Amino acid sequence: MMAQRASTASKKSPQVSTAVIRDLHERMVRIRLFETEAGKLMEAGKLPGFLHLYVGQEAVAAGVMTALRDDDQITSTHRGHGHAVAKGVGFRAMYAELYGRVTGACLGRGGSMHINDLTRGMLGANGIVGAGVPIAVGAAFAARYKGEDSVAVTFFGDGSTNIGAFHEGANMAAILGLPVVFVCENNGYAEFTPQSGHMLLTDVADRAAAYGMPSVIVDGMDAVAVHRAATDAVARARSGAGPMMIEAKTYRYFDHQGVKGLRHPYRSDEEVAEWKARDPIDLIETRALADGTATRAELDDVWQRTRDEIAEAIAYAEASPLPDPADLLLNVYSG
Amino acid sequence: MTTTTEAPAATRKLTYVKAFNEGLAQAMREDENVFVAGEDVAGYGGVFRMFDNLLDEFGPRRMIDTPISEAALVGLGVGAAARGLRPVVDLMFMDFIGVCLDQIVNQAAKMKYMFGGALSVPLTITTASGAGLGAAAQHSQSLEAWLAHVPGLKVVMPCDAYTAKGLTVSAIRDDNPVVVMLNKVLLGSTGEVPEEIYGIPLGQAHTARQGSDVTVIALGRMVGEALAAADELAAEGVEIEVIDPRTVQPLDTETMFASVRRTNRVLVVHEAVTFGGLGAEIAAQIQDVVFDYLDAPVLRIGAPFSPVPFSPVLEKAYVPDRARIAQGCRRLLERS
Amino acid sequence: MAVEVLLPKIGLTMQEGTIDEWLVPTGAAVAEGDALLRLATDKVDVDVEAEAGGLFHPVVQAGATVPAGTLIGWLLAEGEQPPEATGVPTPAGSGAVRGTSALAAAGGGSAGTADMSAAVGGAGAPADHGGTGAAPAPVGTGGRLLSSPYARRVAAAVGVELTAVRGSGPGGRIVSEDVEEFFEALPEAPVMPVPQEATPSSPLVRKLAKERGIDLSEVNGTGPGGRVRRSDLDAATAAPVRRNAAPRPGDVLPLTGMRGTIARRMHASLQEMAQLTHGYEVRMDAVVSLRRRLKEEWADAELPVPGLGDFVLKAAALALREHPLLNATVLDDGIHLLDGIHLGFAVAVPGGLMVPVIEDAAALPLHEIARRSKELAQTAREGRISLAQLEGATFTVTSLGGYGVDFFTPVINPGNVGILGVGRLRDGVEWVEDRPLRTRVLTLSLTFDHRAVDGAPAAEYLRTVGELLGKPLRLLV
Repeated sequence: MMAQRASTASKKSPQVSTAVIRDLHERMVRIRLFETEAGKLMEAGKLPGFLHLYVGQEAVAAGVMTALRDDDQITSTHRGHGHAVAKGVGFRAMYAELYGRVTGACLGRGGSMHINDLTRGMLGANGIVGAGVPIAVGAAFAARYKGEDSVAVTFFGDGSTNIGAFHEGANMAAILGLPVVFVCENNGYAEFTPQSGHMLLTDVADRAAAYGMPSVIVDGMDAVAVHRAATDAVARARSGAGPMMIEAKTYRYFDHQGVKGLRHPYRSDEEVAEWKARDPIDLIETRALADGTATRAELDDVWQRTRDEIAEAIAYAEASPLPDPADLLLNVYSG
Repeated sequence: MTTTTEAPAATRKLTYVKAFNEGLAQAMREDENVFVAGEDVAGYGGVFRMFDNLLDEFGPRRMIDTPISEAALVGLGVGAAARGLRPVVDLMFMDFIGVCLDQIVNQAAKMKYMFGGALSVPLTITTASGAGLGAAAQHSQSLEAWLAHVPGLKVVMPCDAYTAKGLTVSAIRDDNPVVVMLNKVLLGSTGEVPEEIYGIPLGQAHTARQGSDVTVIALGRMVGEALAAADELAAEGVEIEVIDPRTVQPLDTETMFASVRRTNRVLVVHEAVTFGGLGAEIAAQIQDVVFDYLDAPVLRIGAPFSPVPFSPVLEKAYVPDRARIAQGCRRLLERS
Repeated sequence: MAVEVLLPKIGLTMQEGTIDEWLVPTGAAVAEGDALLRLATDKVDVDVEAEAGGLFHPVVQAGATVPAGTLIGWLLAEGEQPPEATGVPTPAGSGAVRGTSALAAAGGGSAGTADMSAAVGGAGAPADHGGTGAAPAPVGTGGRLLSSPYARRVAAAVGVELTAVRGSGPGGRIVSEDVEEFFEALPEAPVMPVPQEATPSSPLVRKLAKERGIDLSEVNGTGPGGRVRRSDLDAATAAPVRRNAAPRPGDVLPLTGMRGTIARRMHASLQEMAQLTHGYEVRMDAVVSLRRRLKEEWADAELPVPGLGDFVLKAAALALREHPLLNATVLDDGIHLLDGIHLGFAVAVPGGLMVPVIEDAAALPLHEIARRSKELAQTAREGRISLAQLEGATFTVTSLGGYGVDFFTPVINPGNVGILGVGRLRDGVEWVEDRPLRTRVLTLSLTFDHRAVDGAPAAEYLRTVGELLGKPLRLLV
């Protein structure tokens, strides 16, 4: 069983609506601005800890999340802000968490890598590569156990498909026939190691065959393509046909950690420029303007509204109280 | 919720493993959200017959055989627990936690805390621990110290049939990840077990025998060995107090402190290697709080710093027993 | 396994002891707890029990006087030879019997057991670190007194100086039982304010009780929290007192035991000190009439009516407050004036005399002195007195009045600088103008050590005693 190409997969998919295009655009803008502002705050020394930014990969989060319902569950990665924003987690809670404030999504206990919102089906970013995969399998198990028809989506990178948890989780989901969608965001690098340096395969999607799981490869810079593939996979899982994998070929603009990171070159400027030339937001805006889905003014309005919302959220975060060290042991245990 | 510390009246003899099985079955009847997943737990009933007959009663929806994939197995439990179920996942041998430690330590244990309390992880992990069956180095360990070291986890060590049932029930009812360390050697031992469902409070030690001369804090199977040593020492006029912590995380140190204040001498015994074991933690806490009540340094007895050996003669020498406990007590009481 | 038998240090002041008699023949098998020797100290003679079993092999002969802690014998296994007693320093104040090899060897012979001892001591211990009893000797502890935390706590609670206590734990460490036993040996122990819940007895006491067939619940425990102590057990069993049969002509009375002790001490006293005696008559009319009144008034009060001797004891003690020079001890570096006033008083017992001690006598009300003197005298005569009850006197009172003696020259107890003799209560005459008046008098005989006290201050002390006896209401409280 070889991975399907999206070019063939998408032909069977229905055309996406105007509303979906606008939705995809807005979610991507929200991610882009959230991340670039977060990057600035970090470089300015205002945020403690690590920051793995999602800029460049927006089409994947937006494309998948627009295919999901609120009660569908996702597990994310250390590069999880994009998933959280796209799943509808609020800016205030996210920025406050990055600032380590008690009003944050984790009450200041988790930081960037543990942002979650159970009310939005966001089962958490995760600091351990591949660890979210089995958890999504468990979430899908719970849904089926309870007789619900929600699905679970697990996001992971190309690098994490070399870890045991991924393989075990994929096999477990397959053998139990669980409603899990495996979304590999292949940005070409496991931290600083190119894909060619960590696996002999060209397409991660080929790994799905090892578990009897269908897979599809999509252009991860094309939000519409991702949306179509995700819609198919989610519908399939929801119908009880079992798990499926999507490999989205994408790229991160910033370094593994932070914006410019350690400033140690491991990618060529040409390569970065090449990917940026196919920027996912540019792509969808060009498409929306070309087919009349939106006007420039409408698109600009999205940017402006989002900027305002972010400015307000950052001000909120900065004004928020710090956690009280007296509450250090809060939530270590239940009960 | 029934919570008792002492056995109610209607009891009969059950084996340790049947007591566990009964507690699990009753907990499954009590709460529809309880299910069991693990390797050969459904069709086969578990390699130690821990899950006998449960498939018949609860069916394949609630009794799930999984691939040999401990990371995915525990991860499935974490995800299902995060979504409101009460999974019981079985690791067969405790030694296997090495391949799924991330899911236990970094996911299950920390999720509630990292997420700002947004959820609970009511996950129960059952596993068989301990040496004594010639199972050698990878199927015999007692690794409670690894787990007790991790904030967010609870660890229980049943020492007999009564606690096997009651601690298992409490573990399932608890809203935190709890590791139930059953002891392989004790599986066939029998004891009085109440028929109805009951829980034993987690984090509450039990004084298995009262005495005035030495406090012996014994973990898991060592409780029985300590009680046997107590009989031996009683014939010499030495009365030892045996404390079974039952739960090593959380650890009921108050009961230990109170005992030490009376006896002034302490011995801690566990199957695990002495170095870095629970004995070290208990000794440290005792000297911290009741230093002024000690008449002798806290004595630890555990396994030597070696993997568990295979050959029965070596294994017998490896695992602490009643003779070593008695010897240790005499050493603590030695006066010229 | 050869077990050392060391001369025990019994009580606070014992420096050396004399082995009066070995109670078992050389080579005989003894069991733990068997009486091994009769030990004469500067206070009493006691039987010393073996604290381990074995074949007895003495190192010193009976009659030898050796410092406490000296190796005096061995308890050997069958076929075992006594070890060369070299290279093992014997710490002063260490136990009477101490194992010389790790008991681990007794635990079994398998290789596994030997390995286990390392595990007992903790992983990484290179060799025989564990086992039992291989604790380091206090050599190299930099002179630090080894004591357990709980022993220190108990000692602090009861005001016992740890330096005075013999350590019986590993390496000579003082453990709480040592402090308790030491404390028990002190007179009139106050209730020990140490938190104790239910510690009825020590293993040793239970063992002894079992051997003697005593039900511990029947024994009145006087230890902290009602803990049954060894002395309680002894009291309950009324250990037989050896009484000398009436000597007959032709007998040779050996200078051993109490006789030997008295002989040595009295001789030493007169050799060491510059003793002389003042005689001093005191009026006892007020005491006699007060005593008569007390007899009537206290008849229903369950208070012991003090005897004449008790009045003198109290007066002697109070007078010492004003004349501290008499409450002293002479050591090499000078005359040490003592803090407490603890009165010894001589009691004639079968075969000799004993001097029980009333601690802090100046601070006690007269009825309490009466009670204690009565109890102690009785205890001494019944042979139940403990060494502790004989220790620590800073001054002594002795009476021969009951024998019709008016004046005598008492011999000072070593360690004191004075002893007050009390003579017969008799009629005296007081001249009121030209008419004789019958009075009641007795003669006090004060022997003092001229190295510390001169004649005039000794006489002033006697005058103070006389004044106190002349106005005895002060003595009541």
